[in-house]
Amino acid sequence: MPYGLFAFAVVGVLIITLVGGYIEWDQSSDTDPYASASAYHAFVFPYSVAALVDSGQYWGSMFVGILAASVVATEYRWGTVRQVLIRGQRRTDYLAIKILAISIVSCAMLLTALALGLVISLYTTNLAGEPITLDVPGEPSVPELGLIVARGAWGIIPYGMLAVMLAVVSRSSVTAVTGIILFLFGESVVIALLDGLGGIGSLLQDISIGENVKVLIAANKIGFSEYNSMSLRAQLSPGDAPDANVAALILAAHTAVYAGVAFFFFGRRDVTG
Amino acid sequence: MLAPMESSAPPSVIRTEGLSKRFGRLTAVSSLDLDVRPGRVFGFLGPNGAGKTTAIAMILGLLFPTSGNIQLFGMDARTNLKAALRRVGAIVENPAVYPHLTARDNLRVWGALSGGTTPARIDEVLELVGLRERAKDKPRTYSLGMKQRLGLGAALLHDPELLILDEPTNGLDPAGIREFRELFRAFARRGKTVFVSSHLLGEVQLMCDEVAIVKQGRLIAQGEVGELLRRREAFIVRTTDPAQAVSVLGSLDWVRSVSEGEQGSLLVEAPAERAAGISQALGEGGIWISELRQEEGSLEDFFLEVTGREDGAG
Repeated sequence: MPYGLFAFAVVGVLIITLVGGYIEWDQSSDTDPYASASAYHAFVFPYSVAALVDSGQYWGSMFVGILAASVVATEYRWGTVRQVLIRGQRRTDYLAIKILAISIVSCAMLLTALALGLVISLYTTNLAGEPITLDVPGEPSVPELGLIVARGAWGIIPYGMLAVMLAVVSRSSVTAVTGIILFLFGESVVIALLDGLGGIGSLLQDISIGENVKVLIAANKIGFSEYNSMSLRAQLSPGDAPDANVAALILAAHTAVYAGVAFFFFGRRDVTG
Repeated sequence: MLAPMESSAPPSVIRTEGLSKRFGRLTAVSSLDLDVRPGRVFGFLGPNGAGKTTAIAMILGLLFPTSGNIQLFGMDARTNLKAALRRVGAIVENPAVYPHLTARDNLRVWGALSGGTTPARIDEVLELVGLRERAKDKPRTYSLGMKQRLGLGAALLHDPELLILDEPTNGLDPAGIREFRELFRAFARRGKTVFVSSHLLGEVQLMCDEVAIVKQGRLIAQGEVGELLRRREAFIVRTTDPAQAVSVLGSLDWVRSVSEGEQGSLLVEAPAERAAGISQALGEGGIWISELRQEEGSLEDFFLEVTGREDGAG
């Protein structure tokens, strides 16, 4: 399972940087200036960092969600969760270690995919005859590039924890994986429906995971640049976006709630799987 | 709370009092009192759905009791579960293995969890459960019996003081069953305890010192195997006049029951030392005996009798 997801991430990186970036830029530079600019910002360093993190956050959430849901629920199916607990492992320790292990594997694979994307970006930037420099409009520093990656990761965590919660509550890998995929795709639809409703609809939209991830991703933009993206969501202009710190706090609250529910259920409920 | 054991006696390895578990309206275990002493092989018997696995899962902390108390090694399982389980090896429902890891790697994982497991100990356990030759194979290629062996290996890995095994002989061939039996007896000879649920009553009779029988979540019999079998002491009697023999024997106060058996024989439940008394009573009644022999009781007979009696009563 993790290897398949990793292969998926690598293919995604190649599509963003090469197909949606360099190749499209090469083909559209004389015909469509807007498409050309979006493609340019998808592969030329350092704009490519924001573009990779945008798509990486979206599909990385799916990656982590599926991995977390299947890893946690599969242990019920195999009965190994029983075997661990009857060896005297505390339930909270077991779940915490499981989440930590999923985090480490997810980080390693997503960062490897990101690194691969950056290598391709540096190569294609050079191929396009552009200088490899941070001296561009917006001028991101190296720590700011790190912050861009951190914001992307922060946007993945609530989905991962939601997947863990679904796996613990349902004790079924099929239910948990289906649930997280439906949530990821369905959330944007629901957010769109809530848009313009006002009142409670507006509040729900403001506190939804997807909307706040959108705010974080908007804060990642280098020089207000549009870029081609594989994420299935509209890009917010940084100037129109609410405070990214508030968005980060709302996402932390989501994570805390899902973790709380997962630990509560796992600690208090019979283990029958 | 369970009252503490008297200081002179070694603490019970497992002790439950009023242990109950309900799933909605279904009572899976009802007021179960068990007392398992150290150094014994203890059989936990019951028909399908009797609540054996539920009781075992509660003892191991997987299910939370609706009411009642559990002590393991004299410690309250609610407050000292982690410490108690460190001294236990168990298989519940079916052996849990990581199918993508080899048998040896499975044992490495479980050994790491228990701590202090050396590669030599893993080799020793693989040898003990007969998996040395297949140690490099993944359990997905194993038969159920081989998975049982691996599960037992995992349970034995940290040399526990108590083995709790739920149907450990499922899927084993007769040689494997015998091997497990000898292994459990040897384990108990070292002063350790085996608590085993099984459907194979003949095997339990050979293996266990003591049994408890549950039905519909309730304990219906518990005792030493020998003692339970003696409870069912009976004679097969053939006479020249069975109808008159029933009348004569039925009038004796030490005869518990007389019933008609196969092909005109009578089944007379009476103490083993009363063979001569039966002969004398029938002789005095002018009834001649063509056969008189003690029926050999089995745990299976006892089990069917007590579980059947419960059906009749219920």
